[in-house]
Formats: sequence, structure tokens, C-alpha cells
Amino acid sequence: MEARVVNKGQLPELLDKLAKDYDLIAPVQEETVVLFRKISGAADAFLEYTNSDVSPKGCFLPQNEKTFNYTYTGDSIEINKPEGAQKAVLFGARPCDIKAITTLDPVFEGEKFGDEYYSGKRENTVIIGLSCTKVLSTCFCYAFEGGPCDGTGSDLLFTEIGDKYYVEVNTEKGKALADAYSQIFSSQGAEQLAKDKEELAKKLAGEFVRKVDLTGVKELLDNNFELPYWNGDDQKKCLGCGTCTYVCPTCHCFDIFDYPTGDFTGARLRCWDSCMYPEYTLMAGGHNPRPTRKERVRNRFMHKLKYHLDRYNMVGCVGCGRCVRKCPVNIDITKIINDLKEVAQNA
Amino acid sequence: MPNNPTALTPYPVTITKIVDETSDVKTFTVEFDDPEVMENFGNKPGQVCMLSIFGEGESTISITSAPTRGKFLEFTVKRVGRLTNVMHQMEVGQKFGVRGPYGNWFPYEIMKGKDLFFVGGGFALAPIRSLIDYALSDQYRSDYGKVEVLYGARSVDDLCFKSDLAERWPKLHNTAIYTTIDRPEEAWKGHVGFVPSYVEEVAPSPENKFAIIAGPPIMIKFTLPVFAKLGFKDDQIITTLEMRMKCCLGKCGRCNIGSKFVCVDGPVFSLAQLKGMPQEY
Ligand SMILES: Cc1cc2nc3c(=O)[nH]c(=O)nc-3n(C[C@H](O)[C@H](O)[C@H](O)COP(=O)(O)OP(=O)(O)OC[C@H]3O[C@@H](n4cnc5c(N)ncnc54)[C@H](O)[C@@H]3O)c2cc1C
Ligand code: SF4
Ligand code: SF4
Ligand code: FES
Repeated sequence: MEARVVNKGQLPELLDKLAKDYDLIAPVQEETVVLFRKISGAADAFLEYTNSDVSPKGCFLPQNEKTFNYTYTGDSIEINKPEGAQKAVLFGARPCDIKAITTLDPVFEGEKFGDEYYSGKRENTVIIGLSCTKVLSTCFCYAFEGGPCDGTGSDLLFTEIGDKYYVEVNTEKGKALADAYSQIFSSQGAEQLAKDKEELAKKLAGEFVRKVDLTGVKELLDNNFELPYWNGDDQKKCLGCGTCTYVCPTCHCFDIFDYPTGDFTGARLRCWDSCMYPEYTLMAGGHNPRPTRKERVRNRFMHKLKYHLDRYNMVGCVGCGRCVRKCPVNIDITKIINDLKEVAQNA
Repeated sequence: MPNNPTALTPYPVTITKIVDETSDVKTFTVEFDDPEVMENFGNKPGQVCMLSIFGEGESTISITSAPTRGKFLEFTVKRVGRLTNVMHQMEVGQKFGVRGPYGNWFPYEIMKGKDLFFVGGGFALAPIRSLIDYALSDQYRSDYGKVEVLYGARSVDDLCFKSDLAERWPKLHNTAIYTTIDRPEEAWKGHVGFVPSYVEEVAPSPENKFAIIAGPPIMIKFTLPVFAKLGFKDDQIITTLEMRMKCCLGKCGRCNIGSKFVCVDGPVFSLAQLKGMPQEY
């Protein structure tokens, strides 16, 4: 695998150049919230974060997205789709979030139907990852074979080492970008930095606080849909606020609806939805297959720990810890995993 | 057409006929504005479409016509909420949008050489009507044995597809049609009683036969044991499921039963398959 080196001092220059040549999406801090959005230069970027509040999944599956505009008069229909995706760079995404994007790929690109909106953006975006230099108490990416310096899914992975970034070139797309800015991406000293990076990865691997053990969990869920465990008070205290699903980088549920803009015109939108809302599965006539919190909580965690694996052979959780941090009533997937492991052991 | 429609964009259709089935059920016949779309549509009996009523959004509706019947689609729609309400106010000549076809279909290949016993309740004859007409088509009639349809509704006013039941199907070769209403009515000379007990009375033999059932959940619940008692095996019983749907593409997430998405892996399931899935529908 190829590698490059970028001086930290040259990062602003790189970001300014990228912002000129591409739509540059990077982490920013708005009030106290760290999120990803398009920036106009290095000055907007906020890289001193460990795990953003809002994940970068919105680069490919925006929270609100117009799929087309329509003009409809009853006896005529005109449909106009928005312009295709612009060339973009997603800079500074963390390894867990990039891995999460790879778990969304088969949903939108796979099986019978593609998704031009998702794929258009995906194909036109170069993903530049940024290794973590510390881990939070809520992080557990290691449990899903990820890691703070793992390059899975990225085109380039930057790892901060002293006054340099060690840059791993993981794809042709990444190489093309590095080559296009060859005055910034040099090859000198890469070998030593490779060793330093390995050291960093090793050090960080020992810093995780949360011990998460998935042994037997998948098998337990494979064989048991009904488990008394799901009736536990801890599971039933969910408020149905949907926070966990909005912040989750692997959640992809959406709603589709029309937004009229005039008597004959409007837009069809799709926007993030949440399986934690009772209306999510409520059918006309009143029947609801997941009528209470118990079924909805079970569905969310079964999706993360079983359904996504069954369907795509990929984990549905990357251990980013956002839902653990953000849930107002402390429903904690790491506790649920460990509890289920115990249930499996005692079975 | 301004665009080449893809997965989320619908094709324009024009309503060519509307039949009032009951006070709250209508059947719409539609044709694609671009005839090429119909040529390439390739819908199979049991599949569904997403109908776009601009300003209201989309709804999942079964294609109730068989592809063998002509270059049109029929949708039988019950007025239950926002979108279906607006649809019921539409007139012949007006347009809406259609994307599809989606989902799996009845295993009509595996059913070849077999007798078919259909059971429908209320307007839910709609999803299986496509297979009835497919099996009764000139083209494929010889592939199937006897075709029987047992259909029930609450009252005479609630009977859908009256001309199919009373005129079209009984006249065709090797068919039997049984129609029932829940409670006696003065003008009604036919059978009175609920669907499950009528099935018990007609007592179809399981030999070389498939049972295809569609109806309200309560009807299905009480009909399944009757078929079991008659000796039908779980893989001889076929039904269709309904879950709330938005994309019909296996992406929006909401129609899952366990790891399955009803919109792509269903809506058609055998009882054997259903027994291997979580009871969450
Ligand atoms: C596989 C399948 C086949 C169907 N076939 C038919 C049919 O042939 N004829 C018919 O009349 N109805 C059918 N339905 C039900 C039909 O989709 C709903 O009745 C309809 O979407 C209600 O829309 P509404 O806007 O009038 O109701 P509202 O209650 O206002 O619903 C709002 C939105 O919720 C969604 N929704 C609500 N209920 C359902 C539901 N039961 N299934 C799916 N989405 C729902 C729709 O997107 C709808 O636009 C089918 C449903 C499924 C899943
Ligand atoms: S389930 Fe929680 S920890 Fe796992 S990826 Fe989603 S938000 Fe992160
Ligand atoms: S964040 Fe917590 S309370 Fe809110 S829906 Fe998720 S599990 Fe329930
Ligand atoms: S309707 Fe969207 S996944 Fe099935």
C-alpha cells in the first residue's frame, strides 16, 4: 500500500485548495454541536473533535432530500429531478463513521434496486478519513473489528503524528487526489511514520473503557425472537424520541412525502425517519405490528445485532457510541450486548 | 416525458375507467402515457406498485389485473386515509404516477399442473385476482387444473368484483365460484355465513392443490386452521402480507419482519415461510 506525508502546517493550504476544486465537506462546530457540512476553506473546519455529535452519513443520505419537483394539474404531470451530485471531498471523518458508510452501501447500491441519489454522491465523493488520537469512554469500535486508526472504506486516511500527517492511500480515487496535489502530498519519511502509526494504534487499543463482548449474542438472537429480557424495565423506559436513530451513522430509515409549494407544484422529499416512533409502522385502519416500546426497542437492537448481518453480512453497529452518549434515559447498547451475552451463557 | 424515471420517480398514467365496487372501494384502470413503459413493465401476478398522487405522496397498491388481460393495469383502492381519499375523487382522463412493479409474486411456475383454491375476504380479493385471471387466461389455462374461488363480504353492498364473480369467472371452463355474505339479506339468494365456516362446508381436498388466501387478518386467522384440518400442508397455503411501506425498494426500513423486507421478499409468503418468521406483522 502506498503512503504519503503531509506537513500539518500545509493542511490549511490543502483544505483551501480542496474547497476551491470540490464541494468540501468537513467537521465544523456550530454552538456546541460538531457536525459535517460544506465549508469554504480551512478556517471553517474544526478538527479538534473525537466523535462528532452528528455523523457524516448526511453527505450521502441527507436528513432532507428532494428527489424531484413536480407540476401536476390533474391531466398533466411534469417531473424534474435535481441536478446530479457535484464532485465532493469528505474530509476528516472518523474511522467508525466511514465504516458505517460501507454498511449503508449495500442498502442503497445492492440487491435489486439502486439509488441514484445516494450512489451519485457516493461515486463523486472522495473520503479522507482522520484517525482518532484518543478514545472516548463511550467508544467501542474495536468490538466490531474496527479501530481508531482503521482505514476501512476511506480513500485516504490521515493519521496525525507529531507535526505531520501520515497518509495511507487506500484506493485509486485517493491516489488520484494525492497525485493532483503532489506539492502537498510528499513521500518523504513515510516509512518511519508507518511505524509510529502502528504504535499509536496499539496504544489506543489499550485505552477502551467499555468492555463489549458479543460472544453468543448473534446465535441467541438467531434462535430467540421472544426473550423475557425485552420485557425488562430498562428496555421499556425508552421515550421514543428518536435521537438514537438520528445520530446513528448506520441507521438509514427514511420517510417519503410531498411538500406542495403552490396549487399545482411541489416537491417530493425523503427525510430521515425513526423506527422508535409508533407511527413508523402504523397502518391505515389502526393496526400496528410494533405497537409498544418493547417491540420498537427490540427491533432497533435486533437490527443492529442481527438483521443487518443476516441481510448484508455486515454489522449494523460500528461502536461509535453516539446513542450511548445521547439517549436521554441512558439506554445503552453496550449494556444490552453484555446482558444478552449473559442471557446466552445462562441459557 | 421530461425524465427517464428511475427507482423513486414515477411514470405518468392516465385513468381510462373507474368502477365503483362498493361505497368505499373503486377499481381504476390505467394506461401508461408512454406505451413503451407497459411493454417493459413485466408485472407478475401478486406484485404491487407505488401510486403517486401528487401533493399527497405515495401508497402501495396491489396490481389486481393479470398481465395476460391487456396493456393496462388495474388497481382496486379502498378509501381509508389521506391519499386514498384524494384518489377516490379522481375522474377518467386524469393522471397520476406509478412506479413498480415491486415485490415477489405468486409461485405460478410451481403451481403448474395443480388445482387452485382461492379464498378472499372483503376488498382483499384484489391481490389474488391477478393470479385468478392469469390462471384462467387463454394462454395459460391448460397449465392449471380446477380453479375455485371462495369469496365473502360483510353484506351485498360490500361485495367487490361482482361481475367477475357472477358472470365472467363462472362461465369459464372448470371453475367453481362460491360467494357468501356474513348475515342474511332479503334480496340475497346465495350462501350466508363467515368465510372460515364456508370453507369447512365446501371442504376442498388438499390433493394436488394450492390454497391462496387473502383477506383481513381476522379472516386469515380463522381460515388457516380450517385448511390445516382439511389436511393442507403449510407449503400448500399461500398468502400475502401488508406492512406500512414507503419505498418498496428495501431501503426505507419500515416493512421488515425480522431480517425480511415485505416489499422485496414478500408480499407473497407460504404458511411454511411465515412459521419461520417472527410473529411481528
Ligand atoms: C403489499 C401491500 C399491498 C396493498 N394493496 C392494496 C390494495 O390493493 N388496495 C388498497 O386499497 N390498499 C392496499 N394496501 C394498503 C394501502 O397501501 C393503504 O391503505 C394506503 O397506503 C393508505 O394510504 P392513505 O394515505 O389513504 O392512508 P393514511 O392513513 O393517511 O396513510 C398515510 C401513509 O401511510 C402509508 N400507509 C398507511 N397504511 C398503509 C398500509 N396498510 N400499507 C402500506 N402503507 C400504508 C402510506 O404511505 C400512506 O400514504 C396495500 C398495502 C400493502 C403493504
Ligand atoms: S447503534 Fe449506537 S453505537 Fe452503534 S453505530 Fe449506531 S449510534 Fe453508534
Ligand atoms: S435515544 Fe433513548 S429514549 Fe430516545 S428513542 Fe433512542 S433509546 Fe429511546
Ligand atoms: S417499504 Fe421501504 S423497506 Fe420496504
